[in-house]
Amino acid sequence: MNRARLLIVGAIVASLALVGVYLAAGGASYTPEKSKNPCKQRPWTNPGSLQEIAQQISLSALDGAACELGVSRETLARALTTEEARERFAKRYGIDDAKLAEAIRAGLVRAVTDAERAGALSPLIAGPLRSFVEDIPLDQAIELIKNGSSLIESVRNLLGPAGDLLEQLLP
Amino acid sequence: MSTQAPRPRVAALALAVGLVLADSSVVVLALPEIYRELDTSVAGVTWVLISFNLVMALAAVPAALLARRFGPGRAAAVGLAIFAGAGLACGLSDQLSTLIVARCVQALGGALAVTAALELLPATVGSERRAAVVWASAGATGAALGPAVGGLLTELVSWQSIFLIQVPVALGAAVPILAVARHEAVTGIIEPELRRTGRPHFWANVALAMVSAAIAAALFLLVLLLIEGWRLSPIGAAIVVSVMPLAALVGSRLGGYVESARARAAAGAILVSGGLGGLALLPSAEVALTVPPQILVGVGLSLVLSALTETALGGRAPQAIHGGWTISARHAGVVIGLLALTPIFTHDIAEQRVDAINAGTAVILDSPVEPLLKIKLTQKVTDRLDEEKGKVPTIGPAFEPLPTDPRERAETVQLREELQDQLNRGATHAFSLSFGLAALLGLLALIPIALARRVEL
Repeated sequence: MNRARLLIVGAIVASLALVGVYLAAGGASYTPEKSKNPCKQRPWTNPGSLQEIAQQISLSALDGAACELGVSRETLARALTTEEARERFAKRYGIDDAKLAEAIRAGLVRAVTDAERAGALSPLIAGPLRSFVEDIPLDQAIELIKNGSSLIESVRNLLGPAGDLLEQLLP
Repeated sequence: MSTQAPRPRVAALALAVGLVLADSSVVVLALPEIYRELDTSVAGVTWVLISFNLVMALAAVPAALLARRFGPGRAAAVGLAIFAGAGLACGLSDQLSTLIVARCVQALGGALAVTAALELLPATVGSERRAAVVWASAGATGAALGPAVGGLLTELVSWQSIFLIQVPVALGAAVPILAVARHEAVTGIIEPELRRTGRPHFWANVALAMVSAAIAAALFLLVLLLIEGWRLSPIGAAIVVSVMPLAALVGSRLGGYVESARARAAAGAILVSGGLGGLALLPSAEVALTVPPQILVGVGLSLVLSALTETALGGRAPQAIHGGWTISARHAGVVIGLLALTPIFTHDIAEQRVDAINAGTAVILDSPVEPLLKIKLTQKVTDRLDEEKGKVPTIGPAFEPLPTDPRERAETVQLREELQDQLNRGATHAFSLSFGLAALLGLLALIPIALARRVEL
């Protein structure tokens, strides 16, 4: 083989080797993470504490509210971070406070029901909790979705002296 | 014509050619800095690069004709003076529009200086072949060193210093040439040197344009990926992209062993495409992974550019005109590459940003950290992405201060790393399509290379 051919063959081999090695190493495997459908219920794990239940209720409520509003869970989460973010979101999607409050309440109700169905919440807690979240004002609803722990605290307050037994009502 | 010892003049002419052709790429590493400082868009800032190359492409042949008409010594001296003056204007610009206008004027002066230099060199070095080698080598050296020098100056001084430092260098290069200009004014030596201009080598110039488009894309996109995507400093990026000129040196030695210009051109185009293919398929966001593709691009560009320039100039006279055609083809290729790929990668970067924000929010929401912390982190990470104007941010500060509880701390650190990995992979992916298209362009250059073989060689 003369030098000219050797040079061309060498160039082809080097190029194919590089592309082949990078492909084998996963060079074409990246696909951007897409937002999941918020209307589809996410699987519940077995929570070991009230704190973990609160976490899952928060996420489930966020999904439920996002589903009601027709946006992704991530978009709604960012909208709830600050007052300004909420205003930008309202302007962009044409969603007023009343509609947002309604969606978040619906999300919270769905989350409590999901938790009850998954066996994470006893019907003794789920019932009053559902009634409680059905009528709460927007700011409080946002606070509950941001911090599931405050939801548990609300139940504790609702139950009054019996609230101390809450841990024991876990399934 | 010789009014002084040729060595300083050869050095001055080589310096002029290197300086002007370096200017095509010297600003590449400064673009992110200019983009932020002049508060423009990515598409807008690419015009700092496109304007220079466009005017070079359009002005190279007319400039060569002017140089032959009015005397190459005078043309080179005037060209360098215009180049220096416009460089000063570039350095003093505080708006994108004035910077772009100054870059256009700089390219006009540059075109005049470079083509006139090729007309002056044969008489200075003794033969047209030797002149072509000096001219091509000076240009290749300038183009290869340009990005690294630009990156160093941007980091150590400012982006303006890239242009300001050119002023004394250009004027210094003009000094030995002034003697030739004075001699021309006295003797009027132009007419006897005028010869009939032959037809330019069409396919070699088309191939040069296509390969130059692919190479420009490689350099420009890689710099953007390193600085905007992976957050390297201009000096860091300059060091990384220095692999390409170093590999080009190896390529030029390698080319010396093969006589066939078409074999060198074909092998070079294949290597450039292979390297770009590698950059399109980077498995992860690691600087070391850009080294093998850069080696292929560097070796390839040196083989293909020298072989095609040699083919375009070979046996054709006058050299200045045909040199003008090669300059025109190369710079037109750069413009076409940037114009074709800029909308694609700017769209992909914008899309990647939305994906990155969503992916980042999803990672935070699904993490085991405490809910209130999740909301705070979501807000901070979104703010960081906004603050960086599209640049992929270092999100570490968004996670400060770390929780004191060891378990929460470990969870937060893991979350931070997962999130940064998502952002880095997204940024890398945003460039894949553009690198892939540039690779295709390099491969398509094999068609004119093959046609050049059949029709004209």
